[in-house]
Amino acid sequence: MTSTKGTPLQFDLDDEDLKLFLEEAEEQIELLDQSLVQLEGEPDPALVQRIFRAAHTLKGSSATIGHKKMASLTHAMETVLDAVRQGRRAPTSEVVDALLAGLDALRVLANEVVTRVDSGIVTERLEADLMAVLDSEGPAAASPEAQDVPVYVVPAGALECCWEEVEQGHGIFFVDVVVASDCQLPSIRCYQVLQEMESIGRLAACWPERDVIEAGGGEYRMAGLLVTRQTEEQIAAALKAVSDVAAVRLRAVPPSEATGPIEGFRDEPQQPAASSSEAAEARDEAPPETLRGGSARKASQSVRIDVERLDGLMNLVGELVIDRTRLQQVREQLSSVLRDASLSELMDNFEETTSHLARVTDELQEQIMRSRMLPVRSVLSRLPRLVRDVAVKCGKKVDLVTAGEETELDRSVIEEISDPLVHILRNAVDHGIESPEERRAAGKPETGTISVTAWNQETYIYLAVRDDGRGIDTAALRRKVVEKGLMTREAAEAAPDEQVVQWIFMPGLSTAKQVTDVSGRGVGMDIVRTNIERLNGQITVSSVQGKGTEVIIQLPLTLATTKALMVSANGTVYAIPLVSVTEALADHEADIHTVGGRKTLRLRHRLLPMIDLAAALGDARPRMLPTDGYFVVAARHGDRQAAFIVDRLLGEQDVVVKSLGDMLGARKGLTGATILGDGTLGLIVDIASLVTEQAAVSVPA
Amino acid sequence: MARFEAAPESTAFPASEEHVVIFKLADEYYALDIQAVQEIVRMQTITSIPGADFWVEGITNLRGRVVPVIDLRKRCGVPASEYTPETRIVVVSSSTGMVGLIVDAVSEVMRIPGDQVEPPSAIVAGPENGYLRGVAKLEDRLVSLVDLEGVLPASADEYGSFSRAA
Repeated sequence: MTSTKGTPLQFDLDDEDLKLFLEEAEEQIELLDQSLVQLEGEPDPALVQRIFRAAHTLKGSSATIGHKKMASLTHAMETVLDAVRQGRRAPTSEVVDALLAGLDALRVLANEVVTRVDSGIVTERLEADLMAVLDSEGPAAASPEAQDVPVYVVPAGALECCWEEVEQGHGIFFVDVVVASDCQLPSIRCYQVLQEMESIGRLAACWPERDVIEAGGGEYRMAGLLVTRQTEEQIAAALKAVSDVAAVRLRAVPPSEATGPIEGFRDEPQQPAASSSEAAEARDEAPPETLRGGSARKASQSVRIDVERLDGLMNLVGELVIDRTRLQQVREQLSSVLRDASLSELMDNFEETTSHLARVTDELQEQIMRSRMLPVRSVLSRLPRLVRDVAVKCGKKVDLVTAGEETELDRSVIEEISDPLVHILRNAVDHGIESPEERRAAGKPETGTISVTAWNQETYIYLAVRDDGRGIDTAALRRKVVEKGLMTREAAEAAPDEQVVQWIFMPGLSTAKQVTDVSGRGVGMDIVRTNIERLNGQITVSSVQGKGTEVIIQLPLTLATTKALMVSANGTVYAIPLVSVTEALADHEADIHTVGGRKTLRLRHRLLPMIDLAAALGDARPRMLPTDGYFVVAARHGDRQAAFIVDRLLGEQDVVVKSLGDMLGARKGLTGATILGDGTLGLIVDIASLVTEQAAVSVPA
Repeated sequence: MARFEAAPESTAFPASEEHVVIFKLADEYYALDIQAVQEIVRMQTITSIPGADFWVEGITNLRGRVVPVIDLRKRCGVPASEYTPETRIVVVSSSTGMVGLIVDAVSEVMRIPGDQVEPPSAIVAGPENGYLRGVAKLEDRLVSLVDLEGVLPASADEYGSFSRAA
């Protein structure tokens, strides 16, 4: 087979459709991801039905946009799921594996819609695997009584518009149309059928509802209640003329019955021109809930809100807060001026109003902050799949226990926490948990346990990953550190165990006996730590040899605000995130030397290069240091440090981080701006980039 | 998802009338499409961004939003002058978000009939004047129609921003 990888693809959709498609696809893929793992060994009918629905929806939407590969792969997955649903095939690990493999491919395929480039995935093989799984066990015949006759409810008053025609002797027909399952655009066919029916007579009712079909929501089957003068044969002929219509069945309905529920047609497997898979197809469509359109779709418990809109609301609330403060100031000034007794009532009134406004704004601010919060569940729910995959690859047995899924945190943090957490879990399975034999020998249960727990404390969220594995091998770490020349043997031996376990965060260290494709090449934990610190968080590890390891991540509840040291330099106010600041001191307290022509700060046995903050950021204006002395702020990123010269220290503040906007883009040394107390703006310094730039000069003293 | 009715073909002819905001730079009159103008505010405190292009005056706080501000005199090569009580920031929405433009004064909002607009002449349309899309000849004066996207940098990458070190 020749590879089509890299060839451009075309899809039948504009930007708005693309957004809709991606949102839906993401949602369904996520649902599959969460529930397929649970499927194994636990064929709860509701769960199976949910999974089947998700696959089916994906099939529909991918076919609508003309994504043939995705549609045919989902079709194969759907066929397997249908067999599970009907009890013809047990959801063994073999079945789940094949479905998971398909799901992984679906992710890539869905992304093709964005990239518009063929990813080179060969779905035929996956489809063959799925079919092989299906065939590996003789299919048990589905019990015919499992198929209920669908019932269609005619909306009240639907026939009202047509009574005149009925009185004139027009017939009322219930029409059922099946679109061929290989049709790529069933929604368009449904729309054509709808139009055709309306040209024949009056369409009193329609399943799915007309709006749904007109909006492109039709699937592989539709039904209608048609009032017309034409005969059954004429109607059937007219509708069959629409391309891709596989079957048309209809029946005259007496006017007396046309207002109540109408029985549909029982699906016979031997439909004309329908292969066995098409028969299955038609059955899938049969449950009436799919045909009643919008009304039957489960009402969602939540509303999607664009984050930008929330940010907009946040800004407005921020303004309200400022106005509130100003009003309160005005009140105080007024009350000191207006001591007149006749005005006291007015003053009371004013006070009451301002304090009410204060309460309302505070509450509004909190509510909006909360609306940005999501339960951490969305991250934790992905973990069982991950642990399962890694455990299978490593030949380990692992149980994953999660707790605290309801813990909420800002969505910006949720997005950032996933990768570090995944990495830690991979490590726990790959390096932490022993093989079943090893565990048995150590007197432990064969199946290891990993727990992931989330909780809130003050303004932080904590995530703890604990395993009952072998623990961190401190002897191996000591050896490694000495081997790599990072430390002398004496220093390594002298370090207490609690300190040694922290060395797993050192760049370039991996104690795994062999490099695996699971846990990488020792570039792991140091990057995890860097990422967590970038989010103004902390990560700690503790371990008991033979008993297990615990990694705790501490993160701020939101990234929207950060604690910063405010300074001024050359007339501009800057915010330096407090996590990076190690020391701030006046020039006369600092131990300043000149080394190689450069000002250097000697601080705790280290020599830090001294950099003028304004100049480092590219401030080209004339620079005058204050005549009465300046200040030095020592800051670090990882193990690199530098000292920044500033004019004044202005104290600590919680700052709200705002982007500089697209036009200015990401600028060297700045992460954004923040609104200061007086309404003007200060700039937030990106210590990491400035320190990294200068650190080459830093040498141990 | 699929659409069944084709959208009407967009007409290739320019609107017969331009609805614009007229502002002054030095002694000249310029016009911005009123659709793009979000609001007009008095001069307020602007925080300069170190290392930014010389015509980027800085950023300002517009009701809680951080808005970059461009000095249109500097951008258009008009000699700089002191701000006056007439100085205004015209806040426009562009493809790169909200941007403030510092102008000497905002004079009026008006409709310019399409037949009074001519393409910029060869003399006016020098390479540095690529941000004009036409000149309107009114009875008493000439008004240059500003091409907003031409005045603003297309994207941050084009204008000397730095990709941040990891």
